[in-house]
Amino acid sequence: MKLVIGYFYPDYLNLYGDDGNVQILKYRAEKRGIEVEVVEVSTTTDISLLQPKEINLVFMGGGPDASQKDMYQDLLSNKKTFLKNYIEAGGVGLFICGSYQLLGDYYKAANGDVLEGLKIFDLYTISFGNKKPRCIGNVVCELNSASRHEPTFSHLNSIGGTLVGFENHGGRTYLGKNGTPLATIIKGHGNNSEDHTEGCIYKNVIGSYLHGPILARNPHLADYLIAKSLGVTDFGPIDDTMALDAHRLSLKL
Amino acid sequence: MWKLYLSLFLAKTVKLIINILNIGSGFTWPGHVALTIYPEILKNKRFGFPQGIVLVSGTNGKTTTTKLLTHILEYSGLRVIHNKTGANLLNGIVSEILLSMDMFGNHNSDIGVFEVDENNLPLILEYINPTVLVLLNISRDQLDRYGETDLILDGWSKCVAKLTPSTKLILDGTQSYFDGVVKDFKGEIIRFDDNLTNLKNTKLVGKFNAKNINAAVYASTLVGVEEGDARQSLSKFESAYGRGELVVYKGKRFQLFLAKNPASFNNNLESLLDGSILCDGVWVVLNDDIPDGRDVSWIYDVDPKLLEKAFYNKEVFVSGSRYLDMGVRLNYANIKILPENLSMRDTDVLTRVNTRENLLNIVVLPNYSAMLNVRQLLTGRKIL
Repeated sequence: MKLVIGYFYPDYLNLYGDDGNVQILKYRAEKRGIEVEVVEVSTTTDISLLQPKEINLVFMGGGPDASQKDMYQDLLSNKKTFLKNYIEAGGVGLFICGSYQLLGDYYKAANGDVLEGLKIFDLYTISFGNKKPRCIGNVVCELNSASRHEPTFSHLNSIGGTLVGFENHGGRTYLGKNGTPLATIIKGHGNNSEDHTEGCIYKNVIGSYLHGPILARNPHLADYLIAKSLGVTDFGPIDDTMALDAHRLSLKL
Repeated sequence: MWKLYLSLFLAKTVKLIINILNIGSGFTWPGHVALTIYPEILKNKRFGFPQGIVLVSGTNGKTTTTKLLTHILEYSGLRVIHNKTGANLLNGIVSEILLSMDMFGNHNSDIGVFEVDENNLPLILEYINPTVLVLLNISRDQLDRYGETDLILDGWSKCVAKLTPSTKLILDGTQSYFDGVVKDFKGEIIRFDDNLTNLKNTKLVGKFNAKNINAAVYASTLVGVEEGDARQSLSKFESAYGRGELVVYKGKRFQLFLAKNPASFNNNLESLLDGSILCDGVWVVLNDDIPDGRDVSWIYDVDPKLLEKAFYNKEVFVSGSRYLDMGVRLNYANIKILPENLSMRDTDVLTRVNTRENLLNIVVLPNYSAMLNVRQLLTGRKIL
């Protein structure tokens, strides 16, 4: 049993502490005696040398607007087919903020430019520029009912159905009729600060606006991703006293 | 002219009231009031200095570099005004100058040396035409307040392009992002690096401080100080508050190193590793007050391998409003913390540290408001 994390564009998307998600996944799997390999995928990576089945967890974070342009071109031209095949085949993934937006239909910038997305999530994102304030602040949300009751998740869950984190995004994301929200907002803006949804879930892939990084104070989500990736339902115990206390404290932030 | 006198009167009155009521340091309020009635006050010629003004900006190192430069200039006999409380927005600078004036608007200083918030530099350059502008660095800091670094660099490029060649620029020659900042600047540029010669004449540690010192020495020579005199003064320099500052408390040595973003945290870890700091125990303090930014995600951009190595074999303590976030973060970097060494309250941890007889040298790594709090606990007083 080996966890192979495909870490997409770590050199471009490294601004919001999201790298912590990979550190956390690695730590938690290794504590359970599971071997972990992190495969970094970036603009210089020839993806044709990589088979989707060699990777069992894909992670991609958020980053500065300026660097996303170079990365975006490579994603669309060279990595799109790989990711689509991987996700449609049931591969597990976590996409945060900027990369979450790029998995939708399109991103419309404040100047009217439209960036085509990978069209995996049924959603689109609009940036209103200076016309609307950025969505910034602490977030508390409740995982959607189906995910909460998903057997692997509910077995590993020792907290409850809440997710906590920090959001900082200019774009507002709207789900289409086939887009399932990851969670319902209790505190914060979420996808668009209008419809109380946060993130999106499709097959085994999660998209979310939560930084923090998201897995730091949501160890149940981290274990769920590892378990799903490896096709197991149970792990040996790990001391999560601090992370669970941090989660509970965050409910009151 | 009446506006200057009214501003002066109001500024001094406000300061007096703040002092009498003892409501915080309140150092920005006199300037704030003055700017309300006289927005162009900095352009008044009474705000000029015979030797001009030096501005210092950047994400990290502003306070230390400004204090260093002030020290060198005072050592060579100049009378200097500088924003010693670290109030580095427009109102803080106006306060500092106004409060040094007599009721007739006269000050007797030769030169002004001010640190400037990196985000406020474009605004301040609209009012001040500096003799020397020192640009230290730009790195990620408080994304929830400042935004991404590209935005700040873009703002800097625009305001630097508008400077006249009478301003001399001093900047970090090892950072390529400055190429874009100065591309439309026509004046003289001096580039500093991390050469350690000057650092060795001080009590400061770390390559980042070598840069701060080299920047300050260059700046002093541009306003007329002999380089030899500047170097000679360095051995007598004392760290700025919370930036390597040493406080002895109940027989233990606490050394405070502000660690407010990934770059400054990593810098401090490197100093711990190169053996230039005495350290038996580390006390990390993390708050999420307004001056710190509410987002603490940045702690995961601190180099985990550096963390693990620097904290190896040291007893670790954690406090602050986000102590659990820091505890979890350290845990994921394979750093073990005893449950009793963790508390939201700084006082609990300080009490705990004092029960440990074998710990003599404690390195404190706090972010901004945490540094002010811990400093007050240890010294029994607020800054300055």
